[in-house]
Amino acid sequence: MNALELHDVVKYYGRHQALAGLDLQVPVGSIFGLVGSNGAGKTTAMAVSAGLLQATSGKINLLGQGPFTPATHTGRISLLPQDSRMPLHSHVDELLMFYGRLQGLAEGALQESVDNVLDWVHLQDRRNSAVRTLSHGMMRRLTIAQAFLGHPELVLLDEPMSGLDPREASRVRHILLRRRGMQTIVISSHNLHELETLCDRAAFIEHGKLVRQDTIDSITRRGHSVTYKLLPGNIPIPALQKALPDTTIEGSTDGTILTIKFQGDPDEITRINAKVLEILLHSGIGVIEIRRGSDLESEYLAATS
Amino acid sequence: MWNPFRSTINVASHELADSIRSRRAIVLLILYLAGSIVGTLIFIKVLHEVETQVVKAMGLDPAKNPGGVTATLWESSHFREIVVHLSGDREIAEQLLRVPPLALFYAWLSFAFAPLLVVLTAAPRIAEEVWSGSVRFALFRTSRGAWCMGKYIGQACQIFLALLLSAAGAWLVGFIRMEHFAPADSMITMFLFAVKAWIYSLAFLGLATGISQFFSSPNIATAISFVALMIMGILGAISSHLANPNTICGKIWDLVNLLIPSGHKIDLWRTDPDHVIPAVVFLFALSIAYMLIGHSYFSRRDL
Repeated sequence: MNALELHDVVKYYGRHQALAGLDLQVPVGSIFGLVGSNGAGKTTAMAVSAGLLQATSGKINLLGQGPFTPATHTGRISLLPQDSRMPLHSHVDELLMFYGRLQGLAEGALQESVDNVLDWVHLQDRRNSAVRTLSHGMMRRLTIAQAFLGHPELVLLDEPMSGLDPREASRVRHILLRRRGMQTIVISSHNLHELETLCDRAAFIEHGKLVRQDTIDSITRRGHSVTYKLLPGNIPIPALQKALPDTTIEGSTDGTILTIKFQGDPDEITRINAKVLEILLHSGIGVIEIRRGSDLESEYLAATS
Repeated sequence: MWNPFRSTINVASHELADSIRSRRAIVLLILYLAGSIVGTLIFIKVLHEVETQVVKAMGLDPAKNPGGVTATLWESSHFREIVVHLSGDREIAEQLLRVPPLALFYAWLSFAFAPLLVVLTAAPRIAEEVWSGSVRFALFRTSRGAWCMGKYIGQACQIFLALLLSAAGAWLVGFIRMEHFAPADSMITMFLFAVKAWIYSLAFLGLATGISQFFSSPNIATAISFVALMIMGILGAISSHLANPNTICGKIWDLVNLLIPSGHKIDLWRTDPDHVIPAVVFLFALSIAYMLIGHSYFSRRDL
């Protein structure tokens, strides 16, 4: 079952087309990355899903119950909007309590949930502060906290890490990873390395259309490819091909990159690695780095070039 | 389980609390209180001047405190006849003459200035939340209708408190400075006028909240609301002169009079429920109608 489905969704801002028939399927329990250049339609897709923007046409299905309606979806979905400011005069604690009450949390559960989310984002000591007194990073953490209030089934996070220092970004990554399987989380980000670490699925969006959507393993071929970064030299391709006849072997012309692609069981990688390293070291070729599959960035650039 | 009624109350109480925290409500209360105190002091000073002139003309000893001559004048049958002629309606004149002079002044003050202050404080509220984006944190947790209605109720509560405070301020000044001041009678009458002024203000609150829903800039929303207020004032002045049930043109102006708040103001000055209740119902309906016009756009707009 999918937590979020967009079918042929079109969105115009005046004459500008932001979404040009976007299709997306986000399975329940997944951490799903939305990848795309500036203006590709990621923010629009999230806002349309949360009911903040009206789609020009197309179908939206949230948690299997149609487009957003307060009666059906309040408390079950949440959004971290990009470039939105929380009410500056409100106090952290009171604001979260207000949001919790709005989404229908009972008083006991509300206090517990507020305590939890403030703890996650390290804002317990600022719970009585006015929002206007928080630093930019703290405000960002507060916006992340509100998105997890009351344990919604679907959480849409638009650029959650922007403005966070490295330590807090790492904390938030750990929080998100701990939510895997418990909530469906959609993350839009330009940091593809981060998405690769966090997500189990991703979609590439360009010009308001889906370019590709798959699991991270499939996109990066993690289970069926291994790449070696080498010191310059002559890669012994014939010897490798002889030792690993059921694989495809590619070497770069400057002799610094070797890629082995294979089919079948992903656990084959251990056997392949042992053989390749033995041959390379025997040939006197220095190995700098070994990587399973390619990376999300390369695949995104290749898919959208 | 989401409950639109509970959601509306939550938004309203947050709006009220947020206004207090942001000092918006404090400024509003101070404006109302200062306006009524200063207005009342000016009224008493002018009254004293007039009384002194009257006493001088009649060759009597001047009174130490204002209000004594007015109280006598208020009771004189000659003066009452003059008021009947001025108002053009014996029934209204008789009802007004039963009201203490200071309460009458307070009613005039609040009916004249409350709409201005309402527009000033309420018009930017929704637009500024759209502008800052803070609305986006709330509208996947409740409906747009409940959110707007909550904002409206929160503002209405603030205005009610402000009008009560201004009535208290005016009463206190009268109590200290006026001779022949009937404290209990004035308090009850001023309280009733504060409630009536609140109901009259609700129509303007609906107007300001309705306009605020069209815009993403608080300044533009405030400016447009003031323009609307001026247009309503002009229409009110024209329609009160041209309304006539015997001509087609007059009927149109009669209809215009029904659709703007000032067309119902005179009925709020009365004390009999036969006039007051329909005016209250009409003003409340106008308030909701103005707000719904804005909401018909807000409910579909991109945020």
